[in-house]
Amino acid sequence: LPAVDVVRMEIIRNLMVSATGEMADTLVRTAYSSLLYDDKDFGAAIMSASGDMWAETPGVIVFSRTFPGIVRAGIARWKGRFSEGDVLVANDPFDTGTHISDTSIYMPVFVEGQLVAFCGMAAHWADVGGKAAGGWCPDTTDMFQEGLCFRHQKIIEAGTLNQGLWDLIADNVRVPVTVHGDLQAQIAACARGADRVRTACAKYGRQTVLAAMDRIIHMTDLSMRAAIGSLPDGEYSGSIRLDEDGVNPHGDFLACLRVTICGERVIFSTRGSAPVARGPVNLPEPCTRGILASSLKGILMPFDATNEGHTKCLEFDIPSPSILSPPRPAPTDSYGYLVVCLMELMFRCFAKIVPHRCPAGGYQLSGATISRTEEQGDHPFVMIDTTHGGNGALFNHDGITNQLVGNGDLPTVPTEVLETRYPVRIDCIEYAPEVGGAGKFRGGMGVRKDLRLIENGCFLVYNIENTKDPTAVGVDGGSTALPGYAVLNPDTPSRRIFNRAAPTIGPLPGGTVFRIVTGGGGGWGIPFDRDPLAVLADVRDEFLDPQRAEELYGVAVVRIVNGWDLDTRRTQQLRAQQVTMSSFKH
Amino acid sequence: MSAEPHIRMAVDVGGTFIDFVLVDERTGEVRIEKIPSLPDSLAEQFVTGISSFGIETGEIRQIFHGMTVAVNALIQERGARVGLITTRGFRDVLEMGRGGRSPVYDFVWRGPPPIVPRYLRREICERITFRGEVITPVDLEDVDRAADYLVSQGVEAISVVFLHAYANSTHEVQARSRLISRHPNIPVSVSHEIACVWREYERASTTALNSFLQPTVSSYLEKLLQNLSAARCVAPIAIMQSNGGVASAQTASKKPIRTVMSGPAGGVIGARTLCQRLEFKNVICTDVGGTTYDVAIIEDGRIIERSDTHIAGRPIAGSLIDVTSVGAGGGSIAWLDHREGLQVGPQSAGATPGPVCFSRGGTQPTTTDAHLVLGQLDPDYFLGGRMRLDVSAATTAIERIGQGLKLDTLAAAHGIVSIAESNMANAIRSKTVARGLDPRDFVMLAYGGGGGLFACAVADELSIRKVIIPPAPANFSAWGILTSDYVEDEVRTRVLPFALEHMDEVLEVLLELQSRTVASIRGYGFEEQGIEVVWRLDLRFSGQEYTLTIDLDSQSRDRAAMIDRGRTLFVDQHRRLYGHGDAETPIELVSLRCRAIGHIQVPPLAGPRRGVAPRENRQRLVHFNGSGRSLMTQIMQRDALQPGMRVEGPVIVEEWTTTTVIPPRWNVTADKFGSLIIEPTT
Repeated sequence: LPAVDVVRMEIIRNLMVSATGEMADTLVRTAYSSLLYDDKDFGAAIMSASGDMWAETPGVIVFSRTFPGIVRAGIARWKGRFSEGDVLVANDPFDTGTHISDTSIYMPVFVEGQLVAFCGMAAHWADVGGKAAGGWCPDTTDMFQEGLCFRHQKIIEAGTLNQGLWDLIADNVRVPVTVHGDLQAQIAACARGADRVRTACAKYGRQTVLAAMDRIIHMTDLSMRAAIGSLPDGEYSGSIRLDEDGVNPHGDFLACLRVTICGERVIFSTRGSAPVARGPVNLPEPCTRGILASSLKGILMPFDATNEGHTKCLEFDIPSPSILSPPRPAPTDSYGYLVVCLMELMFRCFAKIVPHRCPAGGYQLSGATISRTEEQGDHPFVMIDTTHGGNGALFNHDGITNQLVGNGDLPTVPTEVLETRYPVRIDCIEYAPEVGGAGKFRGGMGVRKDLRLIENGCFLVYNIENTKDPTAVGVDGGSTALPGYAVLNPDTPSRRIFNRAAPTIGPLPGGTVFRIVTGGGGGWGIPFDRDPLAVLADVRDEFLDPQRAEELYGVAVVRIVNGWDLDTRRTQQLRAQQVTMSSFKH
Repeated sequence: MSAEPHIRMAVDVGGTFIDFVLVDERTGEVRIEKIPSLPDSLAEQFVTGISSFGIETGEIRQIFHGMTVAVNALIQERGARVGLITTRGFRDVLEMGRGGRSPVYDFVWRGPPPIVPRYLRREICERITFRGEVITPVDLEDVDRAADYLVSQGVEAISVVFLHAYANSTHEVQARSRLISRHPNIPVSVSHEIACVWREYERASTTALNSFLQPTVSSYLEKLLQNLSAARCVAPIAIMQSNGGVASAQTASKKPIRTVMSGPAGGVIGARTLCQRLEFKNVICTDVGGTTYDVAIIEDGRIIERSDTHIAGRPIAGSLIDVTSVGAGGGSIAWLDHREGLQVGPQSAGATPGPVCFSRGGTQPTTTDAHLVLGQLDPDYFLGGRMRLDVSAATTAIERIGQGLKLDTLAAAHGIVSIAESNMANAIRSKTVARGLDPRDFVMLAYGGGGGLFACAVADELSIRKVIIPPAPANFSAWGILTSDYVEDEVRTRVLPFALEHMDEVLEVLLELQSRTVASIRGYGFEEQGIEVVWRLDLRFSGQEYTLTIDLDSQSRDRAAMIDRGRTLFVDQHRRLYGHGDAETPIELVSLRCRAIGHIQVPPLAGPRRGVAPRENRQRLVHFNGSGRSLMTQIMQRDALQPGMRVEGPVIVEEWTTTTVIPPRWNVTADKFGSLIIEPTT
């Protein structure tokens, strides 16, 4: 490969990053499913001819490391037999690492007859068939129950559409118009990326582009090693246990992580984790690796455009089979809980090393899927509600609320859009401050959302995890937050509270209200060290009542005309008592 | 007794300077001035600048004003104490936002604090559905209680945002009348008037920000009018809005949120006017300042707009010119990243400390230093000789960065300029190639202080075949403001199938929007017959979320023809942008838009600045990128280029505040309006 000057190298790198941005933009602008245009549950990437990542634009970072593996599996599957105009489809969890609903479309890019790159667009499909509408089924026992599986089939072969496969998809999903629309959007996105790669090769020469990207990856690798080398050597470990796997009431669902830093090496070990679960909480090995790598990249180099160089120096020790490396065809549809657990374990380990780069523990995912597959004058629908919860506090600031934990840019769907699209009405969406963890800096709060069904015959699926061993632990004396829950018909005598996942609720009559309360984030630092003025503001804002202010924070407030004020003397007394009591304990 | 008012004036306030452009309608003379802008005394400097022309204030007929008061208030978060009234169950929407974050790997990210704290957000019993049906009537006594509470908390402005108010505004209207009758001194903003579109968070943010700005902007404008009237100037003032049109000071006081992108709009409007005259329909507008490179697109004679933006992390809904800014300008700093890669910007040395060569304490090399080292800038003729540049300091700074890259000083300087240029070209690609437009079908208009330095190289990178440098490029934005029309926009979200049976409703809404916008323009003294009306629809394939905006003939009442034409335009545009689009798939209407335009008389272009000493044409050694060598290059004064004259590159054209580089294999001619036309030599 030719030598490339530093200036040209930087220009080519920028071109690739902006090309993936255009791919993501194309998807968002043409997609049919709100999971893509509003939630941004997708990832766009450009890879080398051998699958090394050149650039990406993530919606959620869980997709970042899936593409290199997918492309490598595709190369093996086709023994390198690709032609110009091929478009491939893959969603096998054991290639992609995520659940079967996340379907990747990728396209080889040719210049002067030579394969130079792959452009890929991963997206969560609104449905892939399977026993649960919309995916994320809580009680499958093998992958075949989870939906249609694609293993690098060419949906377009040398420019010709594979009509049989196209129709097969439509005939096997619950919302064919949406899925076909999203699939078209993914293909358009790949075509956009391919176009930009070809333009770059035409301008700078194919060999120069390849040499530049090789060099970029090499230089990134060196700087990642240097970043790891600057951390103190040591071993850090933690574990989190899931409540259940949806199938086996007697199983143990433990995820363990040990991080060893030694010079410029970092070794991730998951030894001690539970065996493969019978239910769908297993996390395929590519994602176990991927999420650890992406978390480290975010902790050490959050603003650097990602490429293969960020992961080259990482070492893994992931025993197989285990819950973090299940064999095909183990069920994996609810894989996301362990993704969150691994990210939380990374934060727990690295909060001790780089506290300014890691939040305290955040809420575990929860969500509801509402669907009606019978025709009822109106079209059938699948509505996946993503209500976010509280993130952990930072070492210098309160945690944020209504943000997907750790994983990225997933905006929620506006009420006005939701009500226009689906037969539901939102009665309220508001903070649930009582679930957040207290602290010198408090954790993010939960969100309370009341969904009212306005049609007969709808079904509900509710998902929740880590109610016993919470992810949202506090740091440095901060309190651990409460997990989320749901209530069917709250504020009525017939109310039903859900503290664990419920596979199918229904059919439900119109007028039913389903309340979702998401979990909070853990606090950072001892609550009695919280600035009394911050506590006063929380009382004023009705995040905290005066009694809780005294109990949790040792801060006394009094009513004054038009508001609240601090009772400084009583606050001093309360805080002095606390100091006395804690010194007795020791 | 002075003569009949015959002078029109534009005053464009920027971060560093206030630009003035004066047009004498009797003589056609155009004059320009520039004075430093001091944020705390803008209203005073406004009058000082006007007096510096030495005219009688009674001669002024009209003043157009591009202002930064609103955008600065948003960025510095200095505004009113606002109270917000919402539908029961939804007061937290404003603070919760949408839950996304764009730096996805930043695990310690947090958004801006809410513009209205929770205790100043009150809920009212009322509910309307997405179809506009009332489920729960508005409880006006609830409104009274909320208002009394907010006033007792000292709010200075109140916003009302009810769910689905875009579909039915009755409750907001009722609440407002109740608020005004109870607390007549508190300004009230209602969401359906400020942004009549769906998505409650974005609408609430826009409305609350409008309230936040209202007292600041109206007191600035009041003070300005007082100062002007003290100087015996009674000419009406019109304010530049983000949508590229002007509105009265009164409208700007009520809807200040519409003025936040007032700054970059002037140049784009000027570009459209100039290119209409030059008969170019497709134009890439590039404005190079000290910190940013701003790109806007004119396609087929129309400025491309967008329907929302973000400022300081907060969304604002409303039509505005689609301007993309990247951190690449004259002050952009060159640095080495952790990968030992060369980066330029987005950090800027600004005016203080400025580039190293300004000798004001800057130590980090900038693109201006690189241009100086390459010989493209004359150290003795910066700002027409007002400022002397330090070549050796610039050379030392660039030499130092070159050492880290194992590049000699000239190669490092070339590298800095090339990377800035490639960032600029990527910004243009994101607005053209990414939209299915081919940059080769466009001309590039370059203005702002640094426009002429980068234009040819960026054009070359994109294979653009024609570059235009307007007269007085550094004051071009102010001139552009003078060419803006009076514009009034209205929008209404109405989600319906785009089909014949709904066209009566579509026409009804459009005609209602039309009567409102036309009435506003008539309020400025325009005759109804002269007012141009534009109808646009936001359409999508049923099932999609994002829309494309297409034009609808505002004269036609043939419903079937309107559907056919709308469908064709939409499908064609979708195919061009995204490569697919089925002509048979059902289409859905989301928003209806109406714009009324009162056209003003376009002024002549600015001539050369008076009072700048003419200079001899000379030669000096200049280094050009790509050619790999240094060439003895002719240095010309812009005045010396007579219309029709053609000069082959390499040549450098100098004028007050701007230098234009014409590299080898390009040539320059001056046209009859005084613009430089630069083209590759074939």
